[in-house]
Amino acid sequence: MVYSIFLWRKGFRRDDYVNYLLLLFGFCLHTTGMVLRGFRLNHCPVTNLFEATTFALWSLLAVYLVLGLWPRLRFLGAFAAPILFGVGVFALMPNLDTQHVEPRGLPAAWTSIHAALMALSYGAFGLGSVAALMYLTQEHNLKLHKLQAIFSLMPPIQRLEVVVGRLLLSGFILLTLGLGIGAYDLTRLLHPETYRGDPKIVWSVLVWFIYLGLLVMRWKFAQGGRRFAIGAIGSFAFVLLTFWGANALSPLHNP
Amino acid sequence: MPFIVLGLSHHSSPVALRERFAFAEARIPAALALLRDSGAAEEAVILSTCNRVEIYAVTTLSASPAFAALQDFLVTCHQYRDPLTDEIYRLDEPQSVQHLFKVACGLDSMVLGETEILGQLKKAYELALRGGHTGARINKAFQRAFNVAKQIRTETNIQRGSVSVGSVAVELAQKIFTRLGDRDVMVIGAGDTSEKTARALVSRGARSILVTNRSYEKAVVLAQELGGRAIHFEDWDKEFGNIDIVISSTAAPHHILDRARLEPLMKLRRNRPLLLIDIAVPRDIEPSVNFMENVFLYNIDDLQTMADGYLKQRQQEIAHCEKIIREKAQGLLDAPPQRPPAGLASAPVAAGGQTPGAPPLSQRYPPPMSALMPNRALDS
Repeated sequence: MVYSIFLWRKGFRRDDYVNYLLLLFGFCLHTTGMVLRGFRLNHCPVTNLFEATTFALWSLLAVYLVLGLWPRLRFLGAFAAPILFGVGVFALMPNLDTQHVEPRGLPAAWTSIHAALMALSYGAFGLGSVAALMYLTQEHNLKLHKLQAIFSLMPPIQRLEVVVGRLLLSGFILLTLGLGIGAYDLTRLLHPETYRGDPKIVWSVLVWFIYLGLLVMRWKFAQGGRRFAIGAIGSFAFVLLTFWGANALSPLHNP
Repeated sequence: MPFIVLGLSHHSSPVALRERFAFAEARIPAALALLRDSGAAEEAVILSTCNRVEIYAVTTLSASPAFAALQDFLVTCHQYRDPLTDEIYRLDEPQSVQHLFKVACGLDSMVLGETEILGQLKKAYELALRGGHTGARINKAFQRAFNVAKQIRTETNIQRGSVSVGSVAVELAQKIFTRLGDRDVMVIGAGDTSEKTARALVSRGARSILVTNRSYEKAVVLAQELGGRAIHFEDWDKEFGNIDIVISSTAAPHHILDRARLEPLMKLRRNRPLLLIDIAVPRDIEPSVNFMENVFLYNIDDLQTMADGYLKQRQQEIAHCEKIIREKAQGLLDAPPQRPPAGLASAPVAAGGQTPGAPPLSQRYPPPMSALMPNRALDS
């Protein structure tokens, strides 16, 4: 991540293979760690939040490493590294690496779909914040008339804004579906009213409203561009920083 | 057989001398045939642009007589009688190969890193190839030169960026808008630089051009030239809702567009990105509009600074490019020689051009050589 800061200062060229190699080295260590854990547990290490997060991290990095084989796309590493670092730190938050507990009488399929949709929605929000970070960088260079605005390999800011919008919309739809299925799942419990004020549920609804607000502001009130990009990054930072806390406090999700 | 280069360029001679030695494109095949018949070269390519006249040759002669023969050919061809000293350069291996590679990469051009010369070099080579004046050595050297030019273009920044104000404006537009094809341009004030900038945007596919000027007649003339539409100066802000790029170059002594006027116009445009190019002096657009969301303002100094920055960037890349060129040239010279493909080059000239008893080179060319004089100069 520290090296990627130098790349930001230098501008985004195709020659940032050092960053690629550093990330490749990290990927090798990560893979070794995951394999060792898998052998120790005797199953695929995706049974709790820590493992799911690190698995998502590993997948994101794998995607970047494949994309980075094309020199023109290698600059994406400068954006991926801070996000990967942030998600990695998130995975190390307390109470995420818990013992695997079977669901309490809920149908495993619905719970899995709920969890998968929620994970996918946060993935889309994460990618949206990467694109938003690219937007802000490029916009800053253009505003300050920096030569690297033209030299960098980044796409036009108008396209980046569209990408941020689409990713946030996709994430929002997935989040809505995930919450809907979660709510339906909840009604099948013996005493669903017990979990009405569950911190994770309240938090999830808050996140849903935040992203709804962002999307409405963009489409209804033409609040695109810089404010929208800052909103996308700020919202994802909020998710990253508060997810573990809400999860830890939730009797429903952390029994 | 050494690969040698003899010629003159903008580095060594003024245009008044270069034009005396220029070859018309249509006459180059005949000149190549004469050159090879003279025995000065076994294989040859003549490159003639407005910035250089060069003969690339593979010869059986040793370097010194070969250069003398090539210079004799050049001088005799163009009936040049004045003395020549440093105007003509003579390069033997490995400098000759390095020079060819540098020319192909635009490193020897007046506008550093320009790409037009590569097309001209390819054309010169094809002319020689079609006429059967090339052989294994020249073919290999030129093919390698084209490959090196491609490598330099992709691996270095020597050819990146634009060094003219109009091209910088186009590149900025391409970094802001997804496609130029659905962007509308407004030209306020019919000046020379604004016309060039607008022309650059149109050539890159801008959808439409609106031209406005205090003198409506001038606006009509420029609009016709650019294939756009003229509007009255009083009405330009009414059309602003659809505009994405504004090029302003009026002679107004005050700002014609300020923040107070632009804010409602941006609402009208639903805050879509807007590129403002202010090339007027004094400036037409209040500088503080650059602080507005989605507004990108560039004045003439900003564009010129960026163009200069490009040039500086290109100059910084020279060492990197030269390193690649040295390695590639050495690689070519170290490679084992290939047998020339049958029938590619014409029959070798017996005993070269300096055989004792043979007539001087100048006597072998049919006088006068006006047939080889240029009827037009190539670009570069």
